Amino acid sequence: MSVVKKKKHVSKKNKKAWRKHCDIRDVEDFLEDQRLEERLGKFEAKPDAELFVVDTGGEEVKVEEEKLSAKQRKRAKLAEPPKCYQILLPSSKVPDPNAKRNHVNPAGTKPTALSKLTEKRRLEKGSFERKMQLAKKNRKVALNLKKKNKMTRQNFGLDLWGQDLPEAKGIPSTLVDDFISPEAQLHNVLPERRLRPKPPLATTVTRKAVDIPHPGISYNPSFKEHQELLQEVVAHEQKIMKRGERLHRRTTGMFSRVTQQENENQWREDMKLNEPSKPEEESASDSEYRAVNPPVQNKKKDHKARRKQRERLVEKERLKREKIDKKKITDIYNEKRAKQRALLAETATPSLNAHKAHKKEPEFVDPAMLSGNLTRLSTNSRRSILLEAYRQLVSRSADAIREPSDPIDHQSCEQYAPPTSVSQFFGLWSVTLVLLRISWLRSRDRGGCGKHKSGLSGEPWGRPMSSSGRLTADMMMNKALLSNLLRDRFESLQHRGALAASKLMMKKKRKLKSYFKAGHKVTDQEIEKYINKKK
Amino acid sequence: MVSKKKKKYASGEGAQFMTRKAALKKLQLSLKDFRRICILKGIYPREPRNRKRAQKGAGGIKTLYHTKDIRFLLHEPIIWKIRDLKVYQQKIRKARAMRRYGEMRKYLRDHPEMTIDHIVKERYPTFVDALRDLDDCLTLCFLFSTFPSLKKVPRDQSMLCRRLTVEFMHAVIAAKALRKVFVSIKGYYYQAEFEGQTITWIVPHHFSFQPQSKDEVDFKIMSTFVEFYTNLLGFVNFKLYHSLNLVYPPKLTRGLSLNSEKDLIDEKAYVAERIAAMNLSLARIAGSNDAEELPEIDIFNTEDEDPQKLEEAKLEVEKVKKLKTMFKGLKFFINREVPREPLVFLIRCFGGEVSWDRNMFVGATFDETDETINYQIVDRPSMEKQYLSRYYVQPQWVFDNVNARTLLPINKYLMGAVLPPHLSPFIDKTKDQVYIPPEQRALNDPDFKPKNDDEVSDEDIEEASDEDEKDQEEKDSEDEGAEAALTRQYQEEVAEESSSDDDGEDDNEKKKIAKEKKKAMAVKPGVPHKDHPYQKEIEDKQAFRLREKLVRKKHRNLYKSMKAGQEARKKEIWLLRKKRRLHDEKVQEEKKVEKRKQRMQALDAASA
Repeated sequence: MSVVKKKKHVSKKNKKAWRKHCDIRDVEDFLEDQRLEERLGKFEAKPDAELFVVDTGGEEVKVEEEKLSAKQRKRAKLAEPPKCYQILLPSSKVPDPNAKRNHVNPAGTKPTALSKLTEKRRLEKGSFERKMQLAKKNRKVALNLKKKNKMTRQNFGLDLWGQDLPEAKGIPSTLVDDFISPEAQLHNVLPERRLRPKPPLATTVTRKAVDIPHPGISYNPSFKEHQELLQEVVAHEQKIMKRGERLHRRTTGMFSRVTQQENENQWREDMKLNEPSKPEEESASDSEYRAVNPPVQNKKKDHKARRKQRERLVEKERLKREKIDKKKITDIYNEKRAKQRALLAETATPSLNAHKAHKKEPEFVDPAMLSGNLTRLSTNSRRSILLEAYRQLVSRSADAIREPSDPIDHQSCEQYAPPTSVSQFFGLWSVTLVLLRISWLRSRDRGGCGKHKSGLSGEPWGRPMSSSGRLTADMMMNKALLSNLLRDRFESLQHRGALAASKLMMKKKRKLKSYFKAGHKVTDQEIEKYINKKK
Repeated sequence: MVSKKKKKYASGEGAQFMTRKAALKKLQLSLKDFRRICILKGIYPREPRNRKRAQKGAGGIKTLYHTKDIRFLLHEPIIWKIRDLKVYQQKIRKARAMRRYGEMRKYLRDHPEMTIDHIVKERYPTFVDALRDLDDCLTLCFLFSTFPSLKKVPRDQSMLCRRLTVEFMHAVIAAKALRKVFVSIKGYYYQAEFEGQTITWIVPHHFSFQPQSKDEVDFKIMSTFVEFYTNLLGFVNFKLYHSLNLVYPPKLTRGLSLNSEKDLIDEKAYVAERIAAMNLSLARIAGSNDAEELPEIDIFNTEDEDPQKLEEAKLEVEKVKKLKTMFKGLKFFINREVPREPLVFLIRCFGGEVSWDRNMFVGATFDETDETINYQIVDRPSMEKQYLSRYYVQPQWVFDNVNARTLLPINKYLMGAVLPPHLSPFIDKTKDQVYIPPEQRALNDPDFKPKNDDEVSDEDIEEASDEDEKDQEEKDSEDEGAEAALTRQYQEEVAEESSSDDDGEDDNEKKKIAKEKKKAMAVKPGVPHKDHPYQKEIEDKQAFRLREKLVRKKHRNLYKSMKAGQEARKKEIWLLRKKRRLHDEKVQEEKKVEKRKQRMQALDAASA
């Protein structure tokens, strides 16, 4: 029953209002009861058998419906026809008057043996000639389209920048199909002006893809240019060495090595200091009581102390000011440097990743690689005296590297240049050493000369083959020294921001499966067993 | 009402960027596919101005993409293609697992292929755009064409690269577009010019493939780049061939002499090999005219008319024109030890005919015994059998010719000779204020003649005792170089003037006759206006000084320092030249003394 909010004072001045606000339900209920009694007879006059029934069923047990899991519900739904077809199902409870209605298999069911036979018979009879022809044609069109696409990919037989492409005419690519008639295509050509202009393409790569080569990397360079290149390399490598030295000085070099014994002695010394010294003075003092923290006296500052404090503050402030002013002046001078730094930041490789791209290194051309001959461009590694010298040095003690006793002759270095020897130019041992280091380091870095697969001789398009067709170990070693063009390209892409730098992955060493586990003690018995087993 | 509180990073740099992970989620692609599509579409990670803000407060360095870029990718049809391919792969995998091999084979046969030509068009809306970005494409394709089959690279990719690069080289040959070449330790640097765009690329030396360790280069990524580049190069080739009136899948003109007895197993391979030899010209489109000469340069009167620049441009055009037909009518033979491909490419580029040993490579057109061969290119110190009718030169001669743009004298490049250095043509032309020794200058421009070498021959020395002073004077004047040339020119002009003065005298005589007639005619003859060249120079100088004064105060110091630098460099050059001159003179003097002494000794011996 709805609870009607009672209004306190309602006017009942006319009949309608009176009727509206007067509760006559009890009267009406009574009248209703009366009418019912008139119709059915009085309740009291009814016999008991009419009013009561004997309960034979017992208390009803409410059967709870099993809750289906989501999966089961889905399964159940799978059986019932889809929603879209449910409307087509007969909703009337009246059964189909035609009991023997023809059954039609739904589309997609497997053809039965009988249906196959009928199909064949009909085909022979020519019942659906037109349909067959159409299907054939469509199949052909589809095949041709596929073939054409494949051929285009292979032969590039397409004028991409020409005017006869459908895209050039403004036909949307979705309508470019053989099935769509040209009328329909043209009908759907978009208006010239687009509602929203196409966003411009991203143009991040602004650096040159192929850098202008240093003239010193010519296969037969002039002496001056080659020396310039070497100077660049030396400067670069010296910078690296300097940085390494600094790092060593600041980290490992800061600590001195101590033997175990010394360390222990030091520890003992330190521990001794902590031992409580003998209380000599305390005994000497009188037995007067003294607080651990004596009370603080509120000692007032006199005028002089106040003045001094004030002066100190002023002086401090002045110094601070002075420092700031000085900084301002130096900043003016630093502006130039800041500009340079900004320029450097502009030209730096973009950091797109947590990993850093390799910095560009100047190309190193070992003088031994230069033969001035195109054929022997890289075969005369045997004469690489600098490398040989380095090997000698390594084989000797480390002291020999620090103080070389015998000079290296630079005969081979002279062959490519006007008769001014490299040693004369360098004069310094350190520079030569740097070069040695570089050549050694780079050979180590770019090592990994494995098997080389040459181009197959039977291939069309004539793979380039070396004229001699020989591939010696020497050549391979020198190849390792040469900078790799592929890596060059890879790094060039990184420098241009087209690729994020990748992490340098160290090659994992394959673990050897060992029979003996760590901590496994081999007994004599086991060894005997093993030997016996082998026999 | 209080406006709704703005969330952090909902606008500005925080909203502009997207991490790679978020992009993957948005595009519903795997990392592998995402990388591929990014490379194909040319979408690269960006570096934000403020990294912290761009990463929405997160620390560290994450790979960031522009949100707009990712949204741009979202509409790419090949994303759907990639998803389809994934399903297709699953089907293949399933068929294999169920051992339904027939089905599997069918799937493999009908494997859908991704076409990315629309992306090529999208990234390079015009042909010139494509040409401009061809450097990296060519270098990578040339590099990949030398590779054997590798694990992460599609099997046919290196072959496709080889085919496309050969086609491109043919286009360069047909267009005569090559301009510069440089042989470096790394490989051959080539520079060509198409439609006003200079394209530079590197071709590695033969046999310089090194097996890469995995950690240095990601082959998968490089191969994806190559996939895009092969498409680009293919369409560029098509366009180039059509603009050059060539048949695009290249065909040879000459009817191949097929042996009817032997059936060729693979005719295509046979043709392809001949094309790769680059020795024959390709078939043209029927009906196209062969001779296409570039018209003469038209001179338009532009506003900032600089006659000097115009003159330079004209000279350049002339030089290029000469370069294009440098080897025309010359026959070359390449010896076995010389790298064949680069030389054939160069010689054919400039109109020469070339052949090689028949057993070395297919496509040789004539033998070594041919008497009409002009040059044989050898790279060995000596040969047993030599023909008198030809020159034996080293390969560097060809390269240097291209850079010098004329046929250089071969005496320095003969067989067994110590070669002059191979200089780079890619040098900064702006840095011209440096001292160049005469030897190098001779290498740079063939017109320059290092005088000292030629003049101081033996005969000269013999006669030198008499003409010492004269010689010196001459040399002094030559060493001054430009000044001397100027003075000489001036003298010539003066001489011309004097001759014109003679004409003037004739005029005077005529005048006398005319004067007599003058009274009758009363018309004065015009006096020819004479320009004094020296006067003009002086005036120009004055005008220049005036203009110098008009330099703004803002730029005055810069201008001054520039001028001072120029002056200093000039002085340095002068000083070095002088040093060289003195040194040369000293050497010459010593030589003379030596010679005289020898002669005296010989005389003494004879008399004794």
